Amino acid sequence: MKKFRFILAAMVAIAGFSFVSCDKESDETKNNYTRYQDAVDAQINKKNDSAILLVAFGSTWEQAFGAFDETIEDYKKAFPKSDVYLSYSSAICINRAAAGENGVSRNYYAPNFWLHGLGAKQYKEITVQSLQVIPGEEFSRVVNYIKDFGNNSLGDLDDKYLSEVTIKLGMPLLAAQEDIVTTARVIDNVYKTKAAEGVVAFMGHGNPDSYDTYKANIRYNQLEEELQKFSPNYFVGTVDAPENYKVQVLERMKKAGITSGKVYLHPLMSIAGDHAHNDMGGDDGEDMNPADYEYNDEGEIEDLSWKCFFSQNGYSCGEDELIMKGLLEVESIRNLWVEHTRGAETLEEVYHSMFPEE
Amino acid sequence: MRKGALALLVLTCSLPLSAQNETTLSEKLEEVVVTATGTPHMLKDVPVQTEIISRRQIEQLGAASFEDILSQLSAGFDFNAGDMGSQMTLNGLGNNYILIMIDGKRLNGDNGGENDLGRIDPHNIDHIEIVKGAGSALYGSDAMTGVINVITRRHDDQALYLENTTRGGSYMDLRQHNSIGFSVGKFTSLTTFQMQHTDGWQNTAEEDPAQTEYHIFDSRNKTVNMYTNGQIGERITYAPSDRLSFEADGYLYRKRIFRPTNGRHPSCDVNTFDMKYRDAGASFGSEYKLKGTDRITLDISWDRHAYYYHYTDTTLEEGYDPNGKYTPYYPYFPDQEHLQSDQQRTMAELKGVFSLPYGNLLSAGAEYRFDYLHAPMRVKGGRADDWTTALYLQDEYTGVNWLNITAGIRLIENKAFGFHATPKISAMFKVADLRIRTGWSRGFKSPTPKEQGYHYLRTMGATTFFYMGNPDLKPQTSDYLSAGVEFSRGGFSASVTGYRNELYNMITLVNVPLSQIPAGEAPEYMGDGSGQVTPRMYMNMEDARTMGIDASLTWRITSDITLGGSYSWLDTKAHVYDTKHSRLSEVTIDGMAHHKGNLYGTWQHRYNDAYRMGIGLYGRASSTRYYQNNGNGKPYQIWKLTTTHDLGRGKNGMTWRVEAGIDNILDYKETTPHGLHYGTTSPGRTFYCTLSLKFSKGRKMNTRDVEKGSLDDDD
Repeated sequence: MKKFRFILAAMVAIAGFSFVSCDKESDETKNNYTRYQDAVDAQINKKNDSAILLVAFGSTWEQAFGAFDETIEDYKKAFPKSDVYLSYSSAICINRAAAGENGVSRNYYAPNFWLHGLGAKQYKEITVQSLQVIPGEEFSRVVNYIKDFGNNSLGDLDDKYLSEVTIKLGMPLLAAQEDIVTTARVIDNVYKTKAAEGVVAFMGHGNPDSYDTYKANIRYNQLEEELQKFSPNYFVGTVDAPENYKVQVLERMKKAGITSGKVYLHPLMSIAGDHAHNDMGGDDGEDMNPADYEYNDEGEIEDLSWKCFFSQNGYSCGEDELIMKGLLEVESIRNLWVEHTRGAETLEEVYHSMFPEE
Repeated sequence: MRKGALALLVLTCSLPLSAQNETTLSEKLEEVVVTATGTPHMLKDVPVQTEIISRRQIEQLGAASFEDILSQLSAGFDFNAGDMGSQMTLNGLGNNYILIMIDGKRLNGDNGGENDLGRIDPHNIDHIEIVKGAGSALYGSDAMTGVINVITRRHDDQALYLENTTRGGSYMDLRQHNSIGFSVGKFTSLTTFQMQHTDGWQNTAEEDPAQTEYHIFDSRNKTVNMYTNGQIGERITYAPSDRLSFEADGYLYRKRIFRPTNGRHPSCDVNTFDMKYRDAGASFGSEYKLKGTDRITLDISWDRHAYYYHYTDTTLEEGYDPNGKYTPYYPYFPDQEHLQSDQQRTMAELKGVFSLPYGNLLSAGAEYRFDYLHAPMRVKGGRADDWTTALYLQDEYTGVNWLNITAGIRLIENKAFGFHATPKISAMFKVADLRIRTGWSRGFKSPTPKEQGYHYLRTMGATTFFYMGNPDLKPQTSDYLSAGVEFSRGGFSASVTGYRNELYNMITLVNVPLSQIPAGEAPEYMGDGSGQVTPRMYMNMEDARTMGIDASLTWRITSDITLGGSYSWLDTKAHVYDTKHSRLSEVTIDGMAHHKGNLYGTWQHRYNDAYRMGIGLYGRASSTRYYQNNGNGKPYQIWKLTTTHDLGRGKNGMTWRVEAGIDNILDYKETTPHGLHYGTTSPGRTFYCTLSLKFSKGRKMNTRDVEKGSLDDDD
């Protein structure tokens, strides 16, 4: 019996200890969350009843910071009755952009914190604008953040407010078929002189094979088709989407009878960051020879930039042919996103509180 | 305790040679080593080629660190710069496959396979024994390419011993070593404290333009980061009788690696956290001497290596939100810490050494090892563990004078992979002053708890990877074949050894189909609930082959002058998993240099009883170091000049010693942009000065001291 008592006492002690340690942990979690949320809230200067939250994957490149700054300014001009905020969804990019001392420290908080802050300030209308190009993997995350917000996932927002707030979603650049048509026309307006001189090849990101979210990779093919209605010199390939790598772009060029001449390269991404500078315009593989190319299982050549690839295949494609601009840096294309925001549709029934009893 | 006790046995009782300050080559050859067989042997007659680096060499070299000592005095070693410290290679293979021990106890804990070498205080080393090749039959896991056994200094023969050594050098390189030792009756106590600091340095402010947005010339990234560490240790021994002795050890160790916080370019030189280690350990050992050299030892030890992020700026990390839901955005604030991993190991070993008839010496032992990993965001449930029990036997046959045959086997049972056997056999032939050694040994490395239990979601770019441990992993194994010849006569010694090391079943992360994700995984591990994730699992996939020739030469020309050097030729080939192409490709192992060598000449002279001077000139060189990506390391040669000055006879128990020198005399500095590989991270010419004060009282004298009239030193 004594032994039993001892065991019981020990169990109680252990349980008590675990309970205490759990509590401590959750306290810290709560404290850190609250502290961070307070910092986000402090950045929200509510001047209007409506807010626009722009959501991008993010970048640590200085050119990208410039593009985002410009976009925010444009949005402020276009929506004078809304408060405009910009969010990154990459934690590493958020951390580094905030800590960097080159110029200003930039707070591109994660979408969930911004949304929570906007909710706490009780904006009557919140428009979330995806700055993605295609409605793919990244876009699906944006949708998830909105769901979490609408569902009051942390349980500390006003449920009544959440049931009344208007939440709108601005779609990515190439969300629907009509977007393809519009975007192609705008692109051609900007680059028709280049297309008259040679090929203008766009490099998109694309979803990898294993998860082509919303089958969004098709947008690149559709855009190319639409652009070619303006000029047969337009091509659209990707870094990651199967069957539409640079190798297939070259095949299509050859099939169209384009075997020499200039090839202009342009990122089909909202900003010109790592992919644009390295995968597209970098010097990776500059010593390779077409006869020695090693193709991977998907028919792509790794570690070879688009610039080197096209120049090794008989085209004129050097530094002069690089158009190192993200789509957000091209005013008329940036305006297409603005138009998407204007046309953002209200999301019905986002609100399903996870804490109905509160 | 295990090897330490043996060292103690021979060092204090039978052959007090390392107690000699004026260690000469012939004395060195008579030095007793224990690492190769676990039993004491004269260096000259050790059945498996053993390299020894003596206290005398270390002092004359004026080394700042363990890395300095190895890279300067043994040609097989190389060090790469890493964010968390240096990464060691021995004959082409990394720290993952090298067993490092302090006094016979394995150094616990690693970060990405690298032990933290800051635990080893260069001023507290008595000598280092290096046995290249696989040593798993004797030592178990990890001993696949070599065993390094650092034997620390002991002052058990002094009634009272006090020492303060302070070393200062360029870039705020500071080293403190303090010892307080005393013996009372059958008890001895030794308390040590060490501290190491460097501000680190920056060889260039240029970033590799291929990896950055534009050509950056004002990067704040350092070539070697600043760090500070400190360690306090205590050792108590109790010898109730001549036969029986006990020893208890404990230590606490802290380290912080500081990364620049004044970065200017978020894409390359901005950091938001430092790295911190908190280590601790305790051990108990006992030894019972039977007749002759026969004895039984029992050792029990516990060690922990806890690794934290210490935030220097607000940082979002993976974690769990207040609802307990996974989030990539858990916030941390400056000066908060976040435990990354806590590796704890408990070991118990019972061992006996018994003389058998017909010239056989049998070593037999049983070992239990328990590994525990607490890694909140890395393994499933935050915790993983592993245990191994082992039995080993080794017989040394010396029935005839000209031959030594040593054979051994270790039988292990592991929680995850079950039974495994690791044999070895070696032979040494003595022909006059020649020693011909040859051997075959197998090595193994148990899958780590991390490799078995990893459960970690990581977003890189737009892709989410799910890293999975694999409970079905087999141990990594190796076959090591070597043959060598050594000649030594008088003050001259030369050796050449050829080896071939084949590694199999090497563990690596491999892309696997989604179907490999076990049923019932939490939705976040399926990637935001929509099945969008690329799973990677640890698998026994890679193999490697290294082969080379190591040669060394030492020549004591006069009683004052010694010349020496070593050379290493290496060739490597590996089948490494290429994650981009999901296939194996044949490559040269990263960091390999075909040719490496070092040379030294020392001159030591005693002018009178009150002053002795030593001068040393050291050179080391390496050919190009090859890498798969981001450029090769440039070939280099670096020369170092050192002086030592022993002052005072120590009549009152005090001795003084000054060491001063110039490293990298020719001011060679590699200014390869950050992001590319280095041959050497040396900052160019540096200066150092060391002051050492020692006080000892009641020292036991021995006959050799009297003969040589050298009473002034303790070590």
